[in-house]
Amino acid sequence: MDYPGTVSELTDGLRQGGYLADRGLATTLLVSLSLHRPVLLEGEVGVGKTEVAKTLAGVYGRKLIRLQCYEGIDTSQALYEWDYARQMLAIRALSERQLADDQAVDKLFGPKFLLQRPLLEAVQAGEQAVLLIDEIDRADDEFEAFLLEVLSDFQISIPEIGTITAPSRPAVILTSNRTRELHDALRRRCLYHWIGYPTAERETQIVLVREPAAAEQLTRKVVRAVHRLRELDLAKPPGVAETIDWVRTLGFLGETELTAQAADDTLGAVIKDRDDLELVRENLAEITSGA
Amino acid sequence: MPDQAAPAFAGVLVGFARELRAAGLTTGTGDVLAYCSAMTPLDPSDLVDLYWAGRATLVRRHEDIAVYDRVFRRYFLDEGAPAARELLLPASAVAHAEAALVMPGAEQEPPGEEERPVLGWMASDVDALKHRSFAACTPAELAALRRIMARIRLTPPRRRTRRTKPAASGRAPDLRKTIRESMRMHGEPAELFFRRRKTRLRPLILVLDISGSMADYSRHLLQFAYSARRAATRVEVFCFGTRLTRITRALEHRLPDAALAQAAQAVVDWDGGTRIGQSLDTFVRRWGRNGLCRGGVVVICSDGLDRGDPEVLATAMERLSRLCYRIVWLNPHKGDNADFRPSTLGMMVAAPHIDLLLSGHDLASLEQLAQMLPALT
Repeated sequence: MDYPGTVSELTDGLRQGGYLADRGLATTLLVSLSLHRPVLLEGEVGVGKTEVAKTLAGVYGRKLIRLQCYEGIDTSQALYEWDYARQMLAIRALSERQLADDQAVDKLFGPKFLLQRPLLEAVQAGEQAVLLIDEIDRADDEFEAFLLEVLSDFQISIPEIGTITAPSRPAVILTSNRTRELHDALRRRCLYHWIGYPTAERETQIVLVREPAAAEQLTRKVVRAVHRLRELDLAKPPGVAETIDWVRTLGFLGETELTAQAADDTLGAVIKDRDDLELVRENLAEITSGA
Repeated sequence: MPDQAAPAFAGVLVGFARELRAAGLTTGTGDVLAYCSAMTPLDPSDLVDLYWAGRATLVRRHEDIAVYDRVFRRYFLDEGAPAARELLLPASAVAHAEAALVMPGAEQEPPGEEERPVLGWMASDVDALKHRSFAACTPAELAALRRIMARIRLTPPRRRTRRTKPAASGRAPDLRKTIRESMRMHGEPAELFFRRRKTRLRPLILVLDISGSMADYSRHLLQFAYSARRAATRVEVFCFGTRLTRITRALEHRLPDAALAQAAQAVVDWDGGTRIGQSLDTFVRRWGRNGLCRGGVVVICSDGLDRGDPEVLATAMERLSRLCYRIVWLNPHKGDNADFRPSTLGMMVAAPHIDLLLSGHDLASLEQLAQMLPALT
């Protein structure tokens, strides 16, 4: 299925996949797909940065290739690696005469012994892939510089094989939690979009799209409570993912009302820090009262 | 859009980019090109599309969004806006955009973001603030700065990374090299090669007190921060009096005068009161939590005279000590006094979490810091 040509079509498509994108996000994605530029998504934790890529791939029948970044990630984990054990076995199996033959060695460094890692996979898949480079801020800056090279040309040089160029550009989505300042050079190659917390109305819709089984009345109350939680001075304010979790937890327990007791029992779904828990418990009645 | 209108339209976009540049955003020609081509799949007469396409292509970081919004409003929406005249936009289009764009303006500001009132205050009432002028260092100060930079290399302790490098011996075999070399021996791995984990410097975070009680030192601290910023690889610098300001980016200038001037501009509460607890709490919440100081060495320069609630300081210090690798506290009041006991309430509250307490009141003590830093365990 081809990517759509207008913002509203894209929004509808994503909605079918269970993702509610606002106008800004949809516009940014559309522009990125038509200009073949990567998108850099930043925003609070748990607002659906990773989810966009998954939905985009799912709805438009693309293969999702995910590169989860971490400190110290290097080319052998991101790009390619030779399958050394198999190479070794193959060498041992070769006879003396075969070894003298050039082709035997060529075969040893051929596609058969090449282990593809996400970036190479994405380059070979071209536009059949959605490449998700998750939490790029966790990788160190050396990796960022390397990524820059791949993202600008979409070609990868393997000394033994040659240069592999993407037949067409995959859709690329980078996410960052801003734990580290990214290089301007990388930012310049990307379109930028900031995903903030949604409004209460929108968040209710999001939860209902993700959890169709949830009761609307209860969902509204939970969303209202979560918004009140975000106003508190928490070390880790809950994201949309936590709201969905909370509704799911309450639904699982068969609760129909967000009473102070029910909230207290299930608080672990939204609050993930001990100090925060104490603060919330003190104000629990107030948080659930209007709900 | 008819074709002959295209140059005029592009002209409007270029003009908009120029306005953004004037407002302090780094907008290159390439970005403007991207902006123009981004409008191809969109509707150029729709201001909402114009807004979002521009925000995706011209804005690079979250902090710039507010500036973008302001310039966009001035350029496209306000009465007599240059673009509205140029593009002959009907009033209804502007009204429609006004209605649609109130949302993104309101949405992008999550509650709890403390920057907003601060910026507003800065813009409206500049005179109320004490900006300290660092525009001109005296020749003597410049010389001192050069001396610090020449003599003091701040080298934080090292940590092992997950990256490896070839080594003569080690635990992990270097399969790639072993196989490659064995080719020469007809596939006989005659020699084993190894790899070993690399080490790299831990991040260094300077948190400087520039409140009234530290007035005599703050200027030197900033110079010190500048030289540290240039000496080690990963250095973050924060200032606080009553509130916390990140000045890492401001210090990123090759010329010391310009860097210090930028930093002084960024800080709004020179010589004011001190709220160490509050400031450290902000630091932990906004930056520490996100991993800025994880595994790093945090150097706090303050006299510990806290006007705020000691409870807040205690909690913040405890959190900080869990987040970072080591905490070093420079207290100028310690002086050369070897058996200095912290007497201020703030210091006493913070003391249990401090790994190393130094004085930092003169160049010699900073040298001492530089000397002790690499071996900090």
